[in-house]
Amino acid sequence: MKPIMLHGHERSITQIKYNREGDLLFSAAKDAQPNVWYTLNGERLGSFKGHNGAVWCIDVNWDTSRFLSGAADNSLRLWDCETGSTISEVTTNTAVRSCQFSYSGKQLMFTTDKTMGHPCEIHIYDVNSFSEPVAIMPVHGPKVTSAIWGPMDNMIITGHENGDLCQWDLATGDNTKVVQEHSKQINDIQMTKDQSMIITASKDTTAKLFDVRTLEKMKTYKTERPVNSAAISPIKPHVVLGGGQEAMDVTTTSTKIGKFDARFFHIVLEDEFGRVKGHFGPINSVAFHPDGKGYSSGGEDGYVRVHNKFDESYFQFEFEY
Amino acid sequence: MDDNWTEAGGGRGHTKSESSDRAMQENGIDSDIDFSDEEDFVDDITDEELLGDLLAKKPKETDGIDSVIVVDNIPSVGVERLEKLQNVIRKIFSKFGKIVNEHYPKGEDGSTKGYIFLEYSSPNNAAEAVKMTNGYKLDRQHTFAVNLFSDFEKYSDVEDDWEPPEAQPFKDPGNLHSWLTQEDCLDQYSVIYDGGERTAILLNNPTEPSLLEERARWTETYVRWSPKGTYLATFHGKGIALWGGEKFKQIMRYSHTGVQLIDFSPCERYVVTFSPLPDNKEEPQAIIIWDIRTGKKKRGFHCENASVWPIFKWSSSGEYFCRSGPDSLSIYETPSFGLLDKKSMKISNIKDFSWSPSDNILSYWVPEDGNIPARVTLIEIPSRRDLSTKNLFNVADCKMHWQKNGDYLGVKVDRYTKIRREKDSNKYSGLYHNFELFRIREKQIPVDKLEIKEPISAFAWEPNGHRFAFLHGENPRISLSVYVMEPKGKVVLVKTLEKKTANHLFWSPQGQFLVMAGLRSMNGVLEFIDTTDMTVMAQTEHFMATDVEWDPTGRYVSSAVSWWGHKVDNAYWIWSFQGKLLQKHPMDRFCQLLWRPKPASLLTTDMIKEIKRNMKKYSAQFELKDRMSQSKASKELIEKRRELIASFEAYRSKCEQMFAETLDWRMDARAGMGEDEDEDDLADETIEFLVKVEETVIDE
Repeated sequence: MKPIMLHGHERSITQIKYNREGDLLFSAAKDAQPNVWYTLNGERLGSFKGHNGAVWCIDVNWDTSRFLSGAADNSLRLWDCETGSTISEVTTNTAVRSCQFSYSGKQLMFTTDKTMGHPCEIHIYDVNSFSEPVAIMPVHGPKVTSAIWGPMDNMIITGHENGDLCQWDLATGDNTKVVQEHSKQINDIQMTKDQSMIITASKDTTAKLFDVRTLEKMKTYKTERPVNSAAISPIKPHVVLGGGQEAMDVTTTSTKIGKFDARFFHIVLEDEFGRVKGHFGPINSVAFHPDGKGYSSGGEDGYVRVHNKFDESYFQFEFEY
Repeated sequence: MDDNWTEAGGGRGHTKSESSDRAMQENGIDSDIDFSDEEDFVDDITDEELLGDLLAKKPKETDGIDSVIVVDNIPSVGVERLEKLQNVIRKIFSKFGKIVNEHYPKGEDGSTKGYIFLEYSSPNNAAEAVKMTNGYKLDRQHTFAVNLFSDFEKYSDVEDDWEPPEAQPFKDPGNLHSWLTQEDCLDQYSVIYDGGERTAILLNNPTEPSLLEERARWTETYVRWSPKGTYLATFHGKGIALWGGEKFKQIMRYSHTGVQLIDFSPCERYVVTFSPLPDNKEEPQAIIIWDIRTGKKKRGFHCENASVWPIFKWSSSGEYFCRSGPDSLSIYETPSFGLLDKKSMKISNIKDFSWSPSDNILSYWVPEDGNIPARVTLIEIPSRRDLSTKNLFNVADCKMHWQKNGDYLGVKVDRYTKIRREKDSNKYSGLYHNFELFRIREKQIPVDKLEIKEPISAFAWEPNGHRFAFLHGENPRISLSVYVMEPKGKVVLVKTLEKKTANHLFWSPQGQFLVMAGLRSMNGVLEFIDTTDMTVMAQTEHFMATDVEWDPTGRYVSSAVSWWGHKVDNAYWIWSFQGKLLQKHPMDRFCQLLWRPKPASLLTTDMIKEIKRNMKKYSAQFELKDRMSQSKASKELIEKRRELIASFEAYRSKCEQMFAETLDWRMDARAGMGEDEDEDDLADETIEFLVKVEETVIDE
């Protein structure tokens, strides 16, 4: 399985996302320009120019017509995918930490950081009218570090700095449920295609699987390093975890043990069955190809590694039970 | 009581009343006035009410009695020698204060009765005299028995029907050796993790350890096993506790505030505790020695200024324990806890001492003093007979290493070629090294010498054998050398392995195998060596390992990264003796792993030989057993997996159902195009692949 290396960013990758068909891959980094690539050959299709700070989060809507990016320059931009031009822009008080289109693509959600005396907030906008927000929900307590839409576009699920996982009811704007299963910051949340389960990646060195409606913890995947991102395979009972020691601690830990690997776990048995090496810094974002036959990872080293098709042994391997 | 004494007291009282009458007359008070009460007068005021404050000061008959002592067992002498006796007595007892009264009761013939009464001017003096002179030996026949006079009452008041205190019922702690009856003879180890919050005892299975006991806050700092593994000691602010038996119940507590260090006697009869808290002058309690089984304090000691623990070193049998002062060696004996022969040994400048691990032999060394050479001496206890003395010159330092069986003593001697004397310390230069190897079991204890040019960083004897290993040279040119002690004074090099990264040596408790480790600053490099032919069986690494420990049987080795030494990747790994990694156990803030020691085998050497001869038979049995337990384990694992998958699938089918129910909403949300069915909608796109790059030079 030879990956395609995408080297279009000057700084570390913050997030990568496939579009629904999986022919395109979007990437954002701490430089100010998100890129879009052909997954099949790794050719760059274009860049989104306009931000003046690290881009923390990106998303693409279901029909790949709109692209969303939130950045440390205190702005959120909505782009036209085809032309790469900014359609609308929202200026915020603080950096935009996470953003996502709703399932329908008619609304979007983003969260802001708690800094400089401003509170952390969840914003909901209508894609077609940026003049007024649909709702702003202030978050008291620990700030939101990752957020996604829940099923049926009627709730938001947020992961917090202290490891809390919360549900927000959009009808009332209330925080309806809090669970604390992680002991440290939740770096990433991803949902299954059928909108039933979410996987959280946390700095506490674990990733956990939750039921999206009850937030009941079902599984835990343990590693020895902070987990920055985790994804669920759409076709196999597998999850992939990406992470690694933070740059500041790298000198005190062994490089030989390969702590920058993408690690594959069985979703039910919680057993690790495979690793993919390659990055020479922590992995910041992982994503399964929508067809489940490949995956991509973006790392602190500034590279995106696109694996279009797993080796045959991946598809043949079965746990004994 | 003595008759004469009461008479004397009475007489004095009489004099007093006479004199007061006289005083009244002198003051011109007419004694004829009638002060008697009227006939119908009723005295309704008690004396207490009227002059309570004065009554309280009223002299009592017992006043002054506290200042009187009784001295028994003095020589009985006739009148002619009484004065001489009195002089002697006065000389002894006037040291404690002024003697205001003395009385020598006499028999009918006028000779003294063998006991006397002395009155001091204050009760304090009397108490001091009792304390100091009770047991005073006047001569061979006469040992004074001195008591306070007031004590007579105390002792005579003992009731006739006094009953001895009831014996405390014996608390049965259960079989403290139950852990040795484990069927497969698996070993236990203790693990502290969560930064010291939790402590667990685990059973080391070949595949996966099984948890025996786990408790939160079992100890406040760390734990220790007793030398034979019977007890587990935990540390608390108020003292230590020992745990044992089948369920690790508390056996006993020993209260010693601020306890930090402990040391067991090798026989597990006593435990020594040390607390750095300010000591009590009167009653030493920096170091306390306890009887483990009764929980009674046997003796306390001052710490003085010893800096190395253990301060007290125990002989192998636990009969003696010993500490060194600046110029002496104090040997104490059990169970009396007194000094052996009531005095310390005077050894000027003694630097260090060490017990043989098997016999009552003590080794110590003293540095050079002017023209007197430094020397290493072996003495036998309790006779204090010198067994061997080795004189050495130009000695900077000595380190004594006993072989575990007590067969050999290796002394590593650092020697200098130049010395510069400074105010507090000596600066040595041109250091070279050699080993002085004492053969304890041979006649007259011959000493072999082995010279090494390079600095030596680690030294270890093979526990059951004749080999020793050491690391020499400086990083990055460190070498491991193994020598063997052959008969007739030959010390033969087995082999030197060069260019190694190591700073510690760990012999298997059974001998033969050796783990060479580069701990901490050397990144945790491990090498497993078979010393029979010096093959390196495995060269491996546990990154940043801080500790390595063999299990008591020599089958497994644990390596650990302790949170106390390194803050990330805290884990312990278990290796086979050949260096095969068997288990990895990452644990959050893992601190310490300690194997539970085992008592010495009860098998005789013949029985062990017999077992070794039949090894094939046993190994076949064990292999069969291993295979069976493995297949059982894998069967259990598969069953467990099946269960997990089944329950997950049940959950998934519910999810799928729910997903199907929301189809309408989804179709609506994405204008009928939300699902994957709309394949016809896809547009074709041409994508170019770079197949190859060719460079052709075109002629111009």
